[in-house]
Amino acid sequence: MSAEALVRGRAAERLRTVRWYQRPRWKRLGAMIALAVLAVMVTGVQGTQRDLFYALEENLTSPLLLVWLALTVGVWAVREFLSPQVKAVSDGYRSVVEEPRGKLRRAWREEKWLRWGALGALVAAAVFLPSGLERYWQTVLVDQIAIYVLVAIGLNVVIGWAGMLDLGFIAFFAIGAYSAAYWTGALPVQPPMELNNFAVIPVAIVTCLLAGVLLGAPTLRLRGDYLAIVTLGFHEIVYLTAKNLDDVTGGTGGVKVERFSLDLGFWSYEWGVIDPMPYYYLLLVFIAVVVFFFWRLEHSKVGRAWTAIREDEVAAASTGVNTVRFKLMAFAIGASTSGVAGVAYASKVGYINSENFVILLSVLVLAYVIFGGMGSIAGVLFGAAFLVWLPEALRDFVDPKDRYMYLGVLLVIMMIYRPQGVIPSRRRARELKLSESGESDADAMTEPAGGRLS
Amino acid sequence: MTTELIKGKGPGGRPEPDAGDLVLDASGVTLRFGGVTSLDGVELSMRRGEILAVIGPNGAGKTSLFNSLTGAYVPQEGRITYRPRAGGEHELRGRKPHLVNHLGLARTFQNIRLFGALTALENVKIAAETRLKSDPVSIMLGLPNARRAERASDRRAHEVLDFVGLAAKLNELAGSLSYGDQRRLEIARALATDPQVLLLDEPAAGTNPTEKLELEELIRGINRELGVSVLLIEHDMRLVMSVADRVMVLNFGKKIAEGSPSQVQRDPAVVEAYLGASAEPEEAAEGADGTDGGGVPQARDGEVTDERAAQDGPGKDEA
Ligand SMILES: Nc1ncnc2c1ncn2[C@@H]1O[C@H](COP(=O)(O)OP(=O)(O)OP(=O)(O)O)[C@@H](O)[C@H]1O
Ligand SMILES: [Mg+2]
Repeated sequence: MSAEALVRGRAAERLRTVRWYQRPRWKRLGAMIALAVLAVMVTGVQGTQRDLFYALEENLTSPLLLVWLALTVGVWAVREFLSPQVKAVSDGYRSVVEEPRGKLRRAWREEKWLRWGALGALVAAAVFLPSGLERYWQTVLVDQIAIYVLVAIGLNVVIGWAGMLDLGFIAFFAIGAYSAAYWTGALPVQPPMELNNFAVIPVAIVTCLLAGVLLGAPTLRLRGDYLAIVTLGFHEIVYLTAKNLDDVTGGTGGVKVERFSLDLGFWSYEWGVIDPMPYYYLLLVFIAVVVFFFWRLEHSKVGRAWTAIREDEVAAASTGVNTVRFKLMAFAIGASTSGVAGVAYASKVGYINSENFVILLSVLVLAYVIFGGMGSIAGVLFGAAFLVWLPEALRDFVDPKDRYMYLGVLLVIMMIYRPQGVIPSRRRARELKLSESGESDADAMTEPAGGRLS
Repeated sequence: MTTELIKGKGPGGRPEPDAGDLVLDASGVTLRFGGVTSLDGVELSMRRGEILAVIGPNGAGKTSLFNSLTGAYVPQEGRITYRPRAGGEHELRGRKPHLVNHLGLARTFQNIRLFGALTALENVKIAAETRLKSDPVSIMLGLPNARRAERASDRRAHEVLDFVGLAAKLNELAGSLSYGDQRRLEIARALATDPQVLLLDEPAAGTNPTEKLELEELIRGINRELGVSVLLIEHDMRLVMSVADRVMVLNFGKKIAEGSPSQVQRDPAVVEAYLGASAEPEEAAEGADGTDGGGVPQARDGEVTDERAAQDGPGKDEA
């Protein structure tokens, strides 16, 4: 045996030995400690210009570090050493809960009155509870939650039902808002005739419908990621137009838009500037109507055709489904819902500028839909309401600048442990299960370009 | 209730397919993928009301032919003429798949392509609904025409599922049905669009002997009772020999023989083509001669052939 071989053998030996800190268990501990340090840096004091290491020193000596360490190392210890016990406890708990839960589920499925009762209670809560809130939260509820719920319901049609990834959905929201501004005479350019804000709604619907078709027609051949890029581009076009064409749109300076008002001759009403509640009820009606219509759509020929296209476009087309028509329809319906939300937004806030329609909002709306559960109306309602509320609520607890980071962490955790969303749609959940078992692949984002045939 | 489904043809009263009356008439169909020529000037003449089988070794171009007929692929050359019962002529080459389907050609897929997360009933309804008019606005408003369409598609789907024998499994998820039932559901979905020509791509692959016999009955029923012309790709020779009126043989994208099952079986070119791939047709044909259905050669030969295709595909190309 040559010396060289001996050396090589020893090197190989050394490479093969696993030192204690390389064992998975201790690696995980290391990761947890690193996580605690990261968490304390993020949640602790911020750095200052005076001293580069100020934040580092402060945070690593603060008791907060111990709290985080206790937390992360605790999680690690439980997972590593107590997992049989934890499992026993959770199994015991599950076996206790199993039966009543099964009963409840069966009752939910079989008893009509239960579902109607729940719906009634929900509607009653939505109608009566908000009037007890502080004015600040009422404003949040109207200006943000209600508006984005409406937008998210629209996006759900495109991504949740038709399975097309749209990253520029706020573009239609902007088109709706600027339609309201234009037709009420708020823009520097004057309309042929001034309309009431309510009369703008059908006009905005048609405008967004056309915009949806305009965007959809040339891009429907694209799938998944390609379509996403195109919609992203579309958003930027609309946004930059609003920003730079300031003698038409008012640009970043913005324009003032009239509030909702109604004059039927014998009865007239003006939605005022201060009290948000009248707007809230108006938007509640909008949302209820849209949800009702879309619920019908989902359980009709159209909803089934969308599901078919989403699951297997080739099979759908061979079965006689006009895939282009249904995709365009999804685009147009989603876009016009977003347009209505845009009109409502402009007419509530009373002032719009191009910065109300930045790309971040498109991404956030997408997150609302995915978080709540793509394809499920209840999920999307919840997802949008919760995720819009969360950053506002966090304002009191954390540095306001960091709020969206917590949102991000929540989304990451959610996608790892519950990718189907909080309240998944039944069809979507099944698809996810099938694709996990490798039987079908019905995801808007993983569809191979070109598709396969045989 | 299959009464509505059955059109004009009394039991067993299928008119003898007329050699002059062609539903499908294709000539010179050539389909190339880069350097690979999957179809090389293929001729196809299908008589109205017949069961025409397409056979050939793996990779012969059978599925490519189906895809070309139904608009999934657009062949570079050739003409595909379709003559519906109502008269007139339609060129199918380059037509969109859903339009081909609307003209009256429905198909199934070699590797089952159902909508797995939907129920059997919903799968078939999707197909039935493509023939019904109802726009999204009237659906959202719940107008009478939308409700009528919904009821009609429901009725139609029930009929068709009844016909293929899946009436008991209406509400099961398509993805959780057995293999044989999935194949049958695909046929039901195709039938729901009321086709004049049904294209079946290896419907017996992966099914067990009992299911094969049932399938044979079903194909005959579709042909005799519904008066649908059937174009059938199948590797199971016993099934082909017993069900087909005529057989055409493809090899390397070319048609090498055509005729009655017994003629084709004796054709030296066919024997030659198959000797390279396997001795299966002869074995299987012997099984068919034994008449009783118990002697089906292999339980799952569809899958076996698929595996073999995967193994010796490249080798065959060199040969
Ligand atoms: N989309 C495609 N791209 C490239 N080549 C293709 C494509 N589709 C088919 N081919 C080629 O065309 C030839 C014929 O394939 P086809 O699937 O039609 O065979 P087949 O007769 O159906 O075989 P099998 O019995 O295995 O189903 C093969 O060589 C195949 O590789
Ligand atoms: Mg094939």
